[in-house]
Amino acid sequence: MRRTVPAFLLLVAAFAVAAPLGWWTVPLVAGLWGALRPGFPRPILAAALAALLGWSVWLGIDLGIAPDALTRIGARAADILQLPSTLFLLLTLLFPALLAWSAAAVACRLANLLVPRGQG
Amino acid sequence: MDADRSGKPIVTARLPHRPSARLFLAATVLALLSYLGARGIGVVPPLGPFLDPANGVWALARTAELPERSRARIPGLSAPVEVLYDDRGVPHVFAATEEDAWRAEGFVVARDRLFQLELQTRAASGTLSELLGRRALDADLTDRRRGFPWAAERGMAALDSSSLIARAARAYADGVNAWIDALGPAELPLEYRLLNAEPARWRPIDTFYLYLQMALTLAWEDPTLTKLQARGMVGAAAAEALFPLNSPIQEPIQPNGAAGPRYDFARLPPPGPPDSLALIAAREREQLNFDFAGLPHCRTAALPHCRTEIGSNNWVVAPGRTAAGFALLAGDPHLELSLPSVWYEVHLHADDGLDVAGVTFPGAPGVIIGFNRDVAWSFTNTGADVRDHYEEQVDDAVRPRRYRLDGAWQPLEIRLETVRGRRGEVLAIDTVRFTRRGPLVHQGNRWLSLRWTAFESKGPGEDFLRLDRARGVTEWLDGWKEYVAAAQNGVVADRRGSIALRSTGKYPLRPGNGRGDELRDGSNSAADWSGFLALDAYPFARDPAQGFLASANQQPVDPRTNPHYFSANWYSPWRALRINQLLRADSSVTPDAMRRFQGDAQSARAAAFVPLLLAAARGDTSLAQAAALLTDWDLSYKKESRGAALFEATMGALAPLVWDELIPADRLADSAPRPAVVPEEAVLLELAADSISVWWDDRRTPAVEHRDAILAEALRRGFARALRDYGPPEGEGWRWDRVHRANVYHLLRIPALSALELPVQGGPSTLTPSPGRGTHGPSWRMVVELGPAVRGWAIYPGGQSGNPASSRYLDRLPRWLAGELDTVRFPANPGDLPAARVGSRLTLSGAER
Repeated sequence: MRRTVPAFLLLVAAFAVAAPLGWWTVPLVAGLWGALRPGFPRPILAAALAALLGWSVWLGIDLGIAPDALTRIGARAADILQLPSTLFLLLTLLFPALLAWSAAAVACRLANLLVPRGQG
Repeated sequence: MDADRSGKPIVTARLPHRPSARLFLAATVLALLSYLGARGIGVVPPLGPFLDPANGVWALARTAELPERSRARIPGLSAPVEVLYDDRGVPHVFAATEEDAWRAEGFVVARDRLFQLELQTRAASGTLSELLGRRALDADLTDRRRGFPWAAERGMAALDSSSLIARAARAYADGVNAWIDALGPAELPLEYRLLNAEPARWRPIDTFYLYLQMALTLAWEDPTLTKLQARGMVGAAAAEALFPLNSPIQEPIQPNGAAGPRYDFARLPPPGPPDSLALIAAREREQLNFDFAGLPHCRTAALPHCRTEIGSNNWVVAPGRTAAGFALLAGDPHLELSLPSVWYEVHLHADDGLDVAGVTFPGAPGVIIGFNRDVAWSFTNTGADVRDHYEEQVDDAVRPRRYRLDGAWQPLEIRLETVRGRRGEVLAIDTVRFTRRGPLVHQGNRWLSLRWTAFESKGPGEDFLRLDRARGVTEWLDGWKEYVAAAQNGVVADRRGSIALRSTGKYPLRPGNGRGDELRDGSNSAADWSGFLALDAYPFARDPAQGFLASANQQPVDPRTNPHYFSANWYSPWRALRINQLLRADSSVTPDAMRRFQGDAQSARAAAFVPLLLAAARGDTSLAQAAALLTDWDLSYKKESRGAALFEATMGALAPLVWDELIPADRLADSAPRPAVVPEEAVLLELAADSISVWWDDRRTPAVEHRDAILAEALRRGFARALRDYGPPEGEGWRWDRVHRANVYHLLRIPALSALELPVQGGPSTLTPSPGRGTHGPSWRMVVELGPAVRGWAIYPGGQSGNPASSRYLDRLPRWLAGELDTVRFPANPGDLPAARVGSRLTLSGAER
């Protein structure tokens, strides 16, 4: 616990900090995380959750800065995609989560296949 | 499972080269999400950049509101520029020179309207496909065939680089590009994200494209086609009467000395035998319209560009007829309503004399409609016929390279137009040919060239820049005496109390009868325009005895006063009748009265036809309820009006009953056959003066009908239709605001970014107009009082920002719907704008080129 919480927070921060570089940083960070697996319980799930939280940090900051504008753009973007606003918000958070989950899982499996734990 | 609860890794015993089902699942999800993230599907944009919270669509919230203070650089600025945004989001630009002011203007317009700038320019330059893909290919090819790139490039090449417009266009481009260069990924407008595109750099020529696009909107009148179509069905004499050279109701823009409208009603000649050659010519002409403009003809289809949808009002009142003793001016151009608006509001102040507030089209330097410290002005469209077609003799029926003129072969100018797609791939290559007159198209077995005044403008837009600096009516009138297209009825008032109105633009002088509504022989230079009408023959009035001047797209001058051909088949002057009625009745006009007049919903059209309908219904018990509804109606299109629904349904039923002779034979079997062309309702009123005219007879019935029988039948049908569509008359369904709504569409017609189904006051032909599908209407309402200090009030539907996340995207709409105006702030220096009214400060400084 003493090591996992900071590691997890570090992972959240990594997703948040990398976000300005582009959405593709999500699978990249998650892939690295999955491949390295720093002795973390449920590393794939952790990657998904951390990506979700990493992106949430940005939304949280924007919510603090411009709550009305954020609500407006969320509603309009949802309308464009013909989704309810809440579903659009959910999509925004699930997209990095699923991306991170799948990238971490692939990386984790590949790492296992190439260098099985306990053998390398 | 990768690890146990203690975090210890679990040793797996799988074979190294045997992928597990879970790997397959994860890889599939990863591939799918990566594809969706990078490419998107259908209308769904690439989800990665779209949802990205740092720079994606959510980030637009971060830049939705203007920061309290900001700084930026624009190459070429001679001195720092201070921009104060007021509480309405209007930038007040304080610069050292006018060129710096235009640079700053380009910057602030791009900051608020970058996507609009690019979209409308591409729409004129035939490069929409580069932004929208193959779906815009036809539109691009039409632009190229119409000769817009040819005309813009030719205009740029011929431009004196030191001219006002050349300097302004360059400076404006500097400003736009400075914004684009500084644009962070979080600030990329939403539309680019949806289209997965990047903004293109702005070029000075793009300003020319903007003016060409406006000319297409405002100066593409074709009175020839309607008349040809009518001639094909009812012969030449009847067609001439149905689509007359002069309006049968004379309430001209240039006062004719009459105290009211004059009704020049004559008996319409009976329908004659069809003229099959005219019908063929009409079909060719219609195709020609489509080839050059991509626009199916208005009379045969209800389309957004059609003339009934656009129009404008403006008027000025001399000090002697105003309550305060200062001249008053009202401007109210009716254009397509869009989000963001076609207009951008700005105040430009430069130490070298420029000090002007008002609106401009994004892409046009300066102010188009507005006021300065001395003068206010506005425009309506003249609707002049400034486009002719010539039949050319060419050396090859399929791939001509030469055309014959006065017995000698002349080389055609040939351009290969390459239309590219979003990734730069070639979508189409088209060969476009030009004679000395203009672009050439193949029609049936003929080659036809186009001459159009919009192609002859040397530096379009320069005139407006001069108007911005005018110090009085005389200087203002001089400022645009060389203006070319689209011809405009410009009203002006100054602080000295002078008022004037002039219909300005180049009017071609044609050989023969001087009329522009016929195909001409291109092989003979004698068929060419011999020049343009002299300025002193333009429709014009200054400080008239009546104390006011007004225009509403009606015939500009009484033909008894000035017989020159300006156009034909003029708009019915319903709006002109109403505004003149209001202005004649009020000798103590206030700014608030001007505002009320702009929002006036009383219908001169209904006042003309309702008495006729009631007279026709008299004694017919089956029409008693319908007649009672019309009797109770106050002839206005207020939101709560109920009679307007019945009147509109009746007028809709009347046209095919009266003009059955104009229904093409192949449409007679339709369930509700419509005439191919419908004369103006002023002509219908002229016909109503002759109750036994043969035109009243519906030739599809064995009986011989006269006027009252047809009017009664129209009322019967209109009432039945209204009952069917709107329910019982006492119900809410008959309220005008239930029957008719305004629709302000986003530029890409995305409903989520549009303001639709808006209850609005006004209807067809009222001073506050909302015809058809409600997509056009008052695009910029302005009232200016020319007192010791000029005061202005104005509004447009929408808001200054093009960012849908911004509170300034739609903030003006509720007040526009309510018919209210905002106070226009016009500070003489930055300190004049109270701190409480300052929303944001932007400091612009120069940068090394």
